[in-house]
Amino acid sequence: MTITSAQPDRFEIWRERLSGSVASITITFIIVMAVGLLWVGPRFVSTSNIGIIGSFLVVPLIVGACAGFALLAGVVDLSIGSMVGFASALFAIQIAGGMDPWIAAPLTLLACVAMGAINALAIVHFGADAIAATLGMLTALRGMTWVITGIGGASGAIFAFHPGLFGMANSRVLGLPVLFLLAIVLSLIAAGVVTKTRLGRHVQAVGGDDKAAARAGIPVARVRTFALLLSAFGAGVAGIVFVAQLGSAARATGFGLEFQVYAALMIGGYSILRGGVGNPVGGMLGLLVVAGVSNIIELKAISPYYTNIIVGALLLGAVLLDRLRGGDPYE
Amino acid sequence: MALAPTIDGKDAVGPRWPGLGAWGPALALVAVWLVLIAATGLYRPDFLSHQTLLAVTFTMSIVGVLAVAQALVAISGGFLDLSQPSGLILSGLVTVRLAEAGMPMPVLILGALATGAAWGLVNATIIVLAKLNPVIVTLATNFIGLAALFLLFQLAQVPRGTAIHEFGRTSLLGLPAIWWPMAALILVAGFFLPRTRVGRRAIAVGGNRQAARARGISLPRTRIAIFTLSGALVGLASVLFVASSGPFNPGSANFLQLNVIASVILAGVSLAGGRGNLWLLFPSVGFLSTIPTTLVFFGLASDWQLIFQGFILVFAVAFDGYRARRAP
Repeated sequence: MTITSAQPDRFEIWRERLSGSVASITITFIIVMAVGLLWVGPRFVSTSNIGIIGSFLVVPLIVGACAGFALLAGVVDLSIGSMVGFASALFAIQIAGGMDPWIAAPLTLLACVAMGAINALAIVHFGADAIAATLGMLTALRGMTWVITGIGGASGAIFAFHPGLFGMANSRVLGLPVLFLLAIVLSLIAAGVVTKTRLGRHVQAVGGDDKAAARAGIPVARVRTFALLLSAFGAGVAGIVFVAQLGSAARATGFGLEFQVYAALMIGGYSILRGGVGNPVGGMLGLLVVAGVSNIIELKAISPYYTNIIVGALLLGAVLLDRLRGGDPYE
Repeated sequence: MALAPTIDGKDAVGPRWPGLGAWGPALALVAVWLVLIAATGLYRPDFLSHQTLLAVTFTMSIVGVLAVAQALVAISGGFLDLSQPSGLILSGLVTVRLAEAGMPMPVLILGALATGAAWGLVNATIIVLAKLNPVIVTLATNFIGLAALFLLFQLAQVPRGTAIHEFGRTSLLGLPAIWWPMAALILVAGFFLPRTRVGRRAIAVGGNRQAARARGISLPRTRIAIFTLSGALVGLASVLFVASSGPFNPGSANFLQLNVIASVILAGVSLAGGRGNLWLLFPSVGFLSTIPTTLVFFGLASDWQLIFQGFILVFAVAFDGYRARRAP
């Protein structure tokens, strides 16, 4: 490859890099960091503050990294928030009953994947609308969460404090929560899978145009089933992590998390209505931006409701940018 | 049916239940509802009481009105309006403030309708001007709206002794007074949707926008009309809501959203647009509203109702997808 013939390619690549969704979310991220540094001061980037943000971000990061695959494959999974609640309740009730976490965790994950399989059966096998089917699953799982936490008594919470688990979940490296660092690594691995592997290309192809993908010999049904199972599995892991971090599960655990996560993922360049767009790094930055905004609002002792107003505005801005970048206009 | 290589159910057209015509799904829905009532009645004869009727019809009222609003958006190709909770609470707050100022009932209703319509118009304006998908726009405006409402107030309630407070607690012809506006709305809207110009335009736009545009129908104008009308209906629901509920906060309407969307889907309204009979909302809302009471009579805690409602919805949409795929 000579330099002259490579030049247009390289130009294209850089143009894409500078104007793509990851670029705009990176710029947004830098702006949030700058606002935090200038307005809040150095304590915004202190290890203790980043540790606090990080601990809260572990669950959304895990959920987002896995649910992102379902978005990419063109099958939005709305049941993730309730799935986190279901997993946390199921895991907590086992721990509270004295079961070993190493047995309780696989059982919980198995139950979550089974629920994900129902999603996949309805959507991929029977052709149900993904939004409608996973909305049903969202409702059913929330009901199960209520029923399980109801066993714990009228308080609506299950106390499942396990010293070993709690210590592990809250351990730190260089002053930062280990789980937060692991969640970041998970997002980066997801990004590697999406951009560098055959599986990732298949997922994107299926989400981009399922008929073309099928003609190209990609097993569309299998890819979508995998994406939905992975989404359920990720939410299950996040539910277990939640219990390990806090030592309890409640009726409302994970309530509305799906909208929070998808808003952040869309700010990061994903689309919930169009498969094949987005990147786990963008999704991760989207979650970091939302958490950063929320943290700034908190540190400045402003009403937390302003966070949602800013998130809503960012969401509208992000989808508008996506459309101007070549997304389908809605008429 | 083996795993299909592609998901292409959306292209299916033609009569879906040959023989019964368009009424097949309707009859199935009514049959399921009746079976549920009969089974509970056989297990616990005291289920078939006026008390149960009051409970079920009470639950139906607000969900039913919101479901008509949601169905109009879906049929016209707007997918879903996720901002109904904000619209409901905003109109409800206006209604409460008007009631506190001692305004008469007609002013309250007009105020609620106008507020709801204005909220719908805001959504429609963003959708049409920015050409963004309604699901995302309404998701964002709901975030913003609820947060702004929380900044505005924490708890609100219509004053005791006012006409609207009475309206929420009286019954008419043996049913809750708030049930009748809902029933009338479903009847009237279901009659006019396929029989008026604006209704047929909405269906045409939802079914195939290119074809509708080719026929000279303005897409932006139809969108604005539908979202404003739908918003006004959310305003109507807010009147029933503030009349019958106790003190409410900005988050009090969130739980309605799932029931409303489930009712719309169960009634066979296509989220892809262009298909749906509003009259079917009556059995679907009725069926979903019967489940909570039924469960109580079967001795299950009310927490179980979501499990049933959720799996019924999964089953219904899976069945719908299967049927659409099998159709020629």
